[in-house]
Amino acid sequence: MKLYNYELSGNCYKLRLLMSFLGVDYETEAIDFYPGQKHKSPDFRQINPLGQLPAIEDNGLVLRDAQAILVYIASKYDADGTWYPAQDPALLGQVMQWLAFADGITATASAARLHDGLYYSHIDVEAARKGAHTLFRILDEHLFFAEDAGQAWICPSDQPTIADIACFPYIMLSEEGGINRMDYPAIRRWCDRFKRIPGFIVMPGIFPAGPAFEKPAA
Amino acid sequence: MLHSLYQQWFPIASSTDLVPRHVYQAQLLGREFAVWRADDGYVNVWENRCLHRGVRLSIGINDGRELKCQYHGWRYTNRTAGCTYIPAHPADAPARTICNNTYPAQEAHGLIWAGEEANGPLPDLGAHANGIVLRPIPVHAPAEMVETTLQSYDQDILFFVQPCDSDHCIIRGIAKPNDDRTVLLRQHSFALGELRDQVEAHAALVEAPARYKPVIARVAEDFIDIPTLTKEGRTADLPVTITAKDIIAKGIARLRLEPLKCALPTFQPGAHVDVHLQNGLVRQYSLTNGPGETDHYTIGVKLEPDSRGGSSTIHALNLGDNLAISVPRNNFPLRRDAVETILIAGGIGMTPLLSMARALNVQGLPFAFHYFVQSDAHIAFRQEIGTFADAATIHKGLSPEDTSTKLSEILAEPGPARHVYICGPGPMLDTAREIAGRTGWSDTQIHFEYFKNNTQRNTSGSFKIELARSAMTLTVPEGTSILNVLHENGINMSSSCELGACGTCRCTVIAGEIDHQDVYLTDSEKAAGNAMMTCVSRARSDRLILDI
Repeated sequence: MKLYNYELSGNCYKLRLLMSFLGVDYETEAIDFYPGQKHKSPDFRQINPLGQLPAIEDNGLVLRDAQAILVYIASKYDADGTWYPAQDPALLGQVMQWLAFADGITATASAARLHDGLYYSHIDVEAARKGAHTLFRILDEHLFFAEDAGQAWICPSDQPTIADIACFPYIMLSEEGGINRMDYPAIRRWCDRFKRIPGFIVMPGIFPAGPAFEKPAA
Repeated sequence: MLHSLYQQWFPIASSTDLVPRHVYQAQLLGREFAVWRADDGYVNVWENRCLHRGVRLSIGINDGRELKCQYHGWRYTNRTAGCTYIPAHPADAPARTICNNTYPAQEAHGLIWAGEEANGPLPDLGAHANGIVLRPIPVHAPAEMVETTLQSYDQDILFFVQPCDSDHCIIRGIAKPNDDRTVLLRQHSFALGELRDQVEAHAALVEAPARYKPVIARVAEDFIDIPTLTKEGRTADLPVTITAKDIIAKGIARLRLEPLKCALPTFQPGAHVDVHLQNGLVRQYSLTNGPGETDHYTIGVKLEPDSRGGSSTIHALNLGDNLAISVPRNNFPLRRDAVETILIAGGIGMTPLLSMARALNVQGLPFAFHYFVQSDAHIAFRQEIGTFADAATIHKGLSPEDTSTKLSEILAEPGPARHVYICGPGPMLDTAREIAGRTGWSDTQIHFEYFKNNTQRNTSGSFKIELARSAMTLTVPEGTSILNVLHENGINMSSSCELGACGTCRCTVIAGEIDHQDVYLTDSEKAAGNAMMTCVSRARSDRLILDI
């Protein structure tokens, strides 16, 4: 598999995360998003006419859109079927619901980060930040009640799903767009749990978590 | 007005926000806090910035005992917030003055309460005591505006509004105990969310008040570098009481010391305290504590058969007896950047190495702990050693020859980033020093701590000392130490063992030939001739110029 990749892209990071969790081998081709704007070049638009990262090529299949690629990789390479629980309609519905929510996070929190960090001056950054806070309030309340019911992840499964992966990067990078997460304690705790998933990898701006608490042996 | 708010207690988190190994981010009256619960349950409320470069500690790592800054890895310990390790200065013990700001905190009724300078009792919760803590609702509006709006809310809920800043607050409510907890939580989370939207819409129409300006203390220039040794002499500033005493091995007593007033200062692995006894004697004992164990000090004391009144007096002490001890000093600091650390302990010399091994073990750094004892009955701190699993090896009942052979095996392979720490009886240390020299270990990789100085000392001959920075010249008469002459002349110089073993009274020598009589400096340091132990070492030349 080949990933058209940009190191600072949260959407590319979603795929690097899932492939690391699943232990899938892949190669990358670096696309110079900034300052080269190579994702808008004629060469890359033949791979993705939308001129957006990420995209993959796997055995002749070309696929774009981070969420779509998460569905593809999880369906194809996760033997346990926990990341994309296709056999459980109620759970799958919720996964898809939160994948759509993750698109909203990209449209707001990621947009504010592009404005502050990568000179996307045409973006209305105040509207983007406000939109991100609205979504974060909803997710924080959701995670508070999930925790209260003994559930660690966004969807009611014992295992994390691709919904967690889809939401994680642009939440974790939100401060680069001037979006403070102090008001979202349940989101902050979920971020710690996410970082402790075996196989977790970092990207610039995202730090690893410390060791988890283990009850001392009696 | 701000000043009166500083005196108050405010809830700044729910107890359930402080899950293990997490750092919670809070704000009160404009000041940001990093809030974290240690594995022993203690709740730390600290200023949310690293003393080094100001990075928020709320993105740091809570390892259950210490908080590590993400930026350059400075470590701050549970309770005291003192810095215990600076990776860029691996060979040095951070000065005690490197300590983060802490704030008063209490945990009660499912909430964490704090305040800038809070004092006095917590508010009386009446019928709401131990009620249901509602999901906190942050609001972008002044606290007073939110409080006014809440007056028309459900009167069964007791509300506290946490003023994060002048235009930002958090509604924290407590409901009376109720069977339908989850229903109640959901209902109020929604209703308070609606209330928030209203208040925020209203707040958007009025001019936002000026932000609170918390006083941010300037960080001393000293923090950029490692400050020099403290200046005070041999003082016993800390009154402590014995809260546990047991015999843990043949002739070895373990004492748990807890403070009689205020908190105990920060220590690092390798540190020792001076224990001042009722009979006027002063003895040094290493702290055996693990990282983050900051509510007490534990020492191990061996009853010496030829005790001159030190160990025998301590063994006669009882529970509830009070002692005066010095602040901890660390002249045996532990590096954490070694690819492997080898700890070699002989008998009661295991105490500083135990503290080191516990720190390395918690951090998951590779180490080997070799413990030489006379017999099974002499093994102290068995439970702590048990946690080291395969890293610990106990060598029992070896003859001096076998000990030498074993030390040769352990020290067979000097490596570029391997470090050895040895503490034990003089003859064992001398053997180890000789083997290390032969196998090619450099002085900078092998670290010794002697608990006494058995060398025959010579106090004959008088000489002059010139104090370069004090512009004084003093005479050191026969039979008197440099340290005594300094103290007699009102010059502060820290000291501890006063036997040339601990390293506290180290002094830089600018000129003159030194007659080294200590066991603290390494051979190469002695040969370099620019440092001395003022308690025992003297001059070969007529005069020494000291950097004092």
